[in-house]
Amino acid sequence: MAQELDLLAMLRSADRSTRREVIRRAAGVGIAAPALLGILHANGVADVAAAPGGVQTRGLSRAQDGEPVQGGTMVVTGHQEVASLSPDDDSPTVHWVMVTQIHNALLEMDENYVFQPILAADMPTVSDDGLTFTFTLREGVLFHDGEAFTSEDVKYTYEWYMNPENAAINANLFSSVESVDAPDDYTVVVNLNRPNAAFYAQVGTTFIVPAHYHGEIGEDAYKAAPIGTGAFKLKEWRAAEFTEVEAFEEHFRGRPHLDIFRQDIVPEPSVRAIGLETGDSDSAVWPLTPEDNLRLAEDDNFVTFVTSSLAVNHFPLNNEHPVLSDKSVRKAMMHAIDREAVIDEIFSGTAVLATANLSPAMAQFFNPDVTQYPYDVEAAAALLDEAGWVLGDGDIREKDGQACAFTCTTISGDQTRRPEAELVQQYLREVGIDMQLEEAPVATILEQLRAGNMDASLFNWTYGGDDADPDASVALRSDGTNNFSHFNNARVDELLDLGIQELDPDARAEIYKEIQAIVADEVPFLFMMFWNWYNIFSTRVQGLPEAALAGDQLYRKANEYWVAQ
Amino acid sequence: MLHYVIVRVLQGVLVIFLVSIASFGIMQAAPGSPVDILIGEAQVSDAQVEAITKKWGLDRPWYEQYGTWLKNVVTGDFGRSVIRTGVPVRDMVAEAAPVTLRLNVLALLVAVVIAVPVGVIAGIKRYSPFDYVSMIGSTIGIAIPNYWIGLMLIIVFSLKLGWLPPYGSGSWKSYVMPVSVLALTEMAILARLSRGATAEALSQDYVTTARAKGLRESAVVTRHVVRNALLPIVTILGYRMAFLLSGTIVVETVFAWPGVGSLLFASIDRKDYQVVQAIVLLLATIVVVANLITDLVYAYIDPRIRIQ
Repeated sequence: MAQELDLLAMLRSADRSTRREVIRRAAGVGIAAPALLGILHANGVADVAAAPGGVQTRGLSRAQDGEPVQGGTMVVTGHQEVASLSPDDDSPTVHWVMVTQIHNALLEMDENYVFQPILAADMPTVSDDGLTFTFTLREGVLFHDGEAFTSEDVKYTYEWYMNPENAAINANLFSSVESVDAPDDYTVVVNLNRPNAAFYAQVGTTFIVPAHYHGEIGEDAYKAAPIGTGAFKLKEWRAAEFTEVEAFEEHFRGRPHLDIFRQDIVPEPSVRAIGLETGDSDSAVWPLTPEDNLRLAEDDNFVTFVTSSLAVNHFPLNNEHPVLSDKSVRKAMMHAIDREAVIDEIFSGTAVLATANLSPAMAQFFNPDVTQYPYDVEAAAALLDEAGWVLGDGDIREKDGQACAFTCTTISGDQTRRPEAELVQQYLREVGIDMQLEEAPVATILEQLRAGNMDASLFNWTYGGDDADPDASVALRSDGTNNFSHFNNARVDELLDLGIQELDPDARAEIYKEIQAIVADEVPFLFMMFWNWYNIFSTRVQGLPEAALAGDQLYRKANEYWVAQ
Repeated sequence: MLHYVIVRVLQGVLVIFLVSIASFGIMQAAPGSPVDILIGEAQVSDAQVEAITKKWGLDRPWYEQYGTWLKNVVTGDFGRSVIRTGVPVRDMVAEAAPVTLRLNVLALLVAVVIAVPVGVIAGIKRYSPFDYVSMIGSTIGIAIPNYWIGLMLIIVFSLKLGWLPPYGSGSWKSYVMPVSVLALTEMAILARLSRGATAEALSQDYVTTARAKGLRESAVVTRHVVRNALLPIVTILGYRMAFLLSGTIVVETVFAWPGVGSLLFASIDRKDYQVVQAIVLLLATIVVVANLITDLVYAYIDPRIRIQ
């Protein structure tokens, strides 16, 4: 904390170039720049938007020298099998990293959360009522099989998602779309049934599949044999072992420098770190252990991007549970846990405190001015006493014969978060709350939470932030499918409905700030922290951007990278 | 003999059938659905979850699902994974099984070739330096977890020396470490067992008799001691076969060998029941067949069993 204050003092008096240096140093001590922006914002430092986002820690100048070299293979490592190459299944990072090489969307988000027209020739024109988006498409784009990309492919793709018979996983993203028209080969008109502020994120960034091919072989076959307009085409897919794509000579942005882009599946994080060190891989798309992250970030052989995760590390709590339904208990738990100590001890300091559901990396929507929960055992005890939870014979509190106890089910074999749960268990025990620990597979946890049959769990999840959009209807609305905490707040429901339809950015930001204020006050779940995301590249990889806010998106640009021979 | 084989095969089929019902029942009894994994963090509505569940027939009662599964299996169709949907389960298992098989057969061969002679010699020369060294070695081999040995080997041979690739199964070099780790545990068990069996055989009356009638010690050992000591070793080998296939998860995970062990583990975790069923069926079949072969080999080595 002292170091943070130090940095803040420097910043208040600093000019812009020094600020940049501060942010570099901040990364050195494990604070992600976006998170730092949040901290700065929280402390009333204005005009920080000009500061760079993510930060490279090392190897910058050396890595960026020289002319692009043609040829070579870039190898990245993921942690679990690439079960499908279809855009509809691209939610896991290891899938997405490959799907994005093969496909393109009309709009794609870059590594700084900015939407760029890719298959669209330009950003779309929007009607005054916000209900009609008109895209002009790029001409001369070819699919891997040589067929031309036209508006029919866009219409086909969007309508495939909209058709309930297909039971598409991402169908919900198209709930605002009324119809899609293709008046000519290079124009697409999307008509909405309601204004949708998240239109770009939900619809515009959907990867396009070829109508003539996907329509013929069907989605199930497509998952194993995709054809897109991407810079790379599928070469070999061995789901649990590796996925290899090769340069597409006729890609519309030019043939990529690399011949081959491959993802190896290496489940063990320490082995992924060793793979980087031996030169067997060039980057790990799924995080290493915090210790390895910090070690390699200090190593001159690697370029490290530190960004802030958008998913909050949290304990979902069943708000209908006899004990957990008491807001005082939930608030008391926030005070009872020394979250800073948890971050330091379990995650080697590589995370930032959560203030509510939204990551400080979502700078535009982030609200630092909410109820705070500093570590304060006495405040926790006072809240519990006031609410009638008193110490009985043992050291566990009770009220009307109900013990202040619940069970937290962590993910089986989760070596990272299990120690976190154990530490929190001790903190809660100190104020007389008994949290028992159990383990279960992910599938069981998600189902039981949704069904309301589980008290609590511990994992990371986005409550706003998917594709840089703050909408959290699915996770925070009282009827949301992923409302794991069974949070039921009429005002939040109302705000979520307003937020998705509000097209004015400033007015929209206010809505999501109010949501954060309510979440912070109500504590539907224990918001712990946002992990720092480390994307580590070997200096062999060249052409990397100077900075990034969104680490994952760096892999989307593989078509611009080359490897030193 | 033929009658004996037929009865054993029929028994085996019954066992496999019961195992498949049991594993299906257990998967159904545990809460959770593969659909929860499939949708991940996608923004879905309840109606969609229902639609996807229905698409996969997961809304039907378990006995109906089992019936469909059994009917398909009899016709050679092992169904499709809910998670890796584009690929038939048969192909998934066919892709993973050879990986595990190669690893295990090599490990077992290495273990047998080294450990059985070591154990026999240790048994004959009990309380000699050779005996002590080999038995201390095997105790350590059993005690140290595979996971730790694996990581240490990677650090030494990949990171420090740069001789071997840290993961994968691309070249012959990548076989060295995983096979060694697996073989180490097997060797430890086999060596101890061979030593015990040899020691026991040595104390039998027929050995005393053989010696008394003036047989050379080498003939006593090869003809009487080793032959008899082999019986329990063969039993255990058949038994270890079953363990080998399922017990390699750790090694498969550390060295990133996508075999049956890790596929089974991941599929149970994801509640991908068609894949679990197929692998359990495969494992049950292997255990049954391995046991059958063990019994037949037994009959070959020990004439008393053949006569009965």
